[in-house]
Amino acid sequence: MADRAPHDFGKTVINAAALLLVLSYALPYVYLVSTSLKPAADVQQIPPSFFPDGVSLENFATVIGTAGLPNAFLNSAIVAILTTLLSLLIAVPAAYVSALYRRRITVLFLLFALVTRMVPAVSLGVPLFQIMKTLGLLDTTIGLVLAHTSTAVPLALLLMSAFFEGVPKELEEAARMDGCTRFGAFLHIILPLMPSGLAISALFSFIASWNEFLFALLLTSQNSKTAPIVIAEFNSVYGLAWGPMTAAAVLYSLPVILVTLLLQKQIVGGLTFGAVKG
Amino acid sequence: MKKTLSCTVAALALMTSAAHAEAITVLVEGGGHSLQQAAADAFTKETGIEVNFVEVPYQGVYDKLSAEIASGTSNYDVATIDVVWNAAFAAHVEDLTDLFTDAVKADIPPALVMDANAGNKMMGMPAWANAEIVFYRKDLWEDPANQTAFKEQFGYDLAPPATWQQWRDMASFFTKDGMYGTVVIGGTSEEWMAEVLQAGSPGVILDDAGNVILDNQAHIDALENYRAPLCLDKSVPDNALEISWGEAQNLFYQGQTAMMKFWAHAYKMTPEDSEITGKVGVAPMIAGSAGIAAIPGPWYNVIPSTSQHKDAARQFISYLVAHNALGIEAPLGLAATNSAYESYMGKPGYEHFGPLMETLSAPATKGRPLSEDYQELVDEAVMPAFQGALECEDNVAELLQDAAATARDILGQ
Repeated sequence: MADRAPHDFGKTVINAAALLLVLSYALPYVYLVSTSLKPAADVQQIPPSFFPDGVSLENFATVIGTAGLPNAFLNSAIVAILTTLLSLLIAVPAAYVSALYRRRITVLFLLFALVTRMVPAVSLGVPLFQIMKTLGLLDTTIGLVLAHTSTAVPLALLLMSAFFEGVPKELEEAARMDGCTRFGAFLHIILPLMPSGLAISALFSFIASWNEFLFALLLTSQNSKTAPIVIAEFNSVYGLAWGPMTAAAVLYSLPVILVTLLLQKQIVGGLTFGAVKG
Repeated sequence: MKKTLSCTVAALALMTSAAHAEAITVLVEGGGHSLQQAAADAFTKETGIEVNFVEVPYQGVYDKLSAEIASGTSNYDVATIDVVWNAAFAAHVEDLTDLFTDAVKADIPPALVMDANAGNKMMGMPAWANAEIVFYRKDLWEDPANQTAFKEQFGYDLAPPATWQQWRDMASFFTKDGMYGTVVIGGTSEEWMAEVLQAGSPGVILDDAGNVILDNQAHIDALENYRAPLCLDKSVPDNALEISWGEAQNLFYQGQTAMMKFWAHAYKMTPEDSEITGKVGVAPMIAGSAGIAAIPGPWYNVIPSTSQHKDAARQFISYLVAHNALGIEAPLGLAATNSAYESYMGKPGYEHFGPLMETLSAPATKGRPLSEDYQELVDEAVMPAFQGALECEDNVAELLQDAAATARDILGQ
């Protein structure tokens, strides 16, 4: 018992520190949820209260009745799913080649992918707008998917190449000796070993598209408007409808939370990938 | 003869079909959409021209229109823009001078006509306008005990405040029993700018020639007066820098302040569950030595030079101003023309239209300077001085001299 005391104390300190850290991340979200549950009169109470005095679902009722929001949620889901699939389709083979067949050109390729992540999105807005307009893709789902993919691919590429770097090249060579083509070895042998990498890349691509605002604002107007735009419309020049806006934001965050929980095992595995490599 | 008649009928049918097929697209912020939908429906019924609204968030209007203009072609035939963007878009929109007939000009408050004037052209037609007016608690003002006590203390009758001094007196008087008389807004500077005009300045920040006048006597007097309830009278919450319009409105709705200056549309928006519902009175904006004045908040319909349907867009804008009252039933309940407001005068629930019209039409009421650098001037020059003054320590004249120097640097004067 005496030996366990210092151990328990250390564990408690670590747990407390972890809890503090989690709270610092989670508090804004908790406040968002709390605000969404406040009655209209309490939403902007001065001084503000962290928790609602009484729980009310009127903000959620308002949001569900907001014209255009269900359609915008659907648009967001379609765009995010297509963006994720397209990004992985492009980035995963490219990352594999870049990681396993390291040449000067592949290093430059990865470096360029990193550089594209450094370009502010706002500077790409007008060129993208002009390209989509020329292609006749303004206010279309496919136009927005292409725009989102252009930013999601470099991210997925960098993430996946880090995962592929841990794969011994001998694995592909063994598969080829057993009769696999190079692509067959990649598809049937290497890729099944990468569930964590795929999960993380997919999740990050999905989130990047799901939450993206600027391109959606510039490239859509009526038909393919996504939810972040409609949520922002609660902020009008003559006032900010805090209650409905927070309720919409809470609803909008649920799919991402759900996907994250579903992929929790793979994500944790991916995040600790390489942690014990010497 | 028969052949001619058939040809004429065919041509007319074609023309009608072409007219019916025409459609214009209007870029607008959410609130503006609701204000213009009824007029758009009537316009379509009358002309056959379809009107499609593209509704975006507030900042989206600026971003989307900028992108359209930069791309050289446009999906939008009309854009409804906030007056603060007039300078940025002035060079990229059509001249609407021909729509400003004498009758139209006579029906629009002069300050709104001035804001549309981009020097060489009339760049937009006012769609609706707003201004800050005085909101006060009728129940408190009509209370005989308050009336007696106020007269005893200040020597004149308790009535809605009409002057700077009355505003301060009444704010002090009602600062009691856990209530503040009013608030001082420190998050934005527009309310102070209105007082600058009330003090007789020829403009806010800049004069009509574009010279910096941020340190003239009217700016100084207005800032001294503006901060007096905070720094001298202690008749407002002391966290002025944390208070913007939203907070001011909520404090009033929660019964924590007795009066406020606020945008007129809010008269119809008192929450039903607020403890002051049914107790709100309104009055014109207060007056300084130059009389009543406010900084109006109009929105303008403009035709981007890249529009593909300019004639139809002109017809639409002309129709909107002629049928301006159709927007009043919308939630914001605002219009731009005197005739629209007058058509609702005396109707229950529209008591704010009288004070709003009086404020908008006051000779000293004037818009912000039409300068592309306006926002930078506000952010870099005005706000540091304005918020510095609300710390209640520094000399107002010195703060404004520094601000004026910064403004001159920004403008290269």
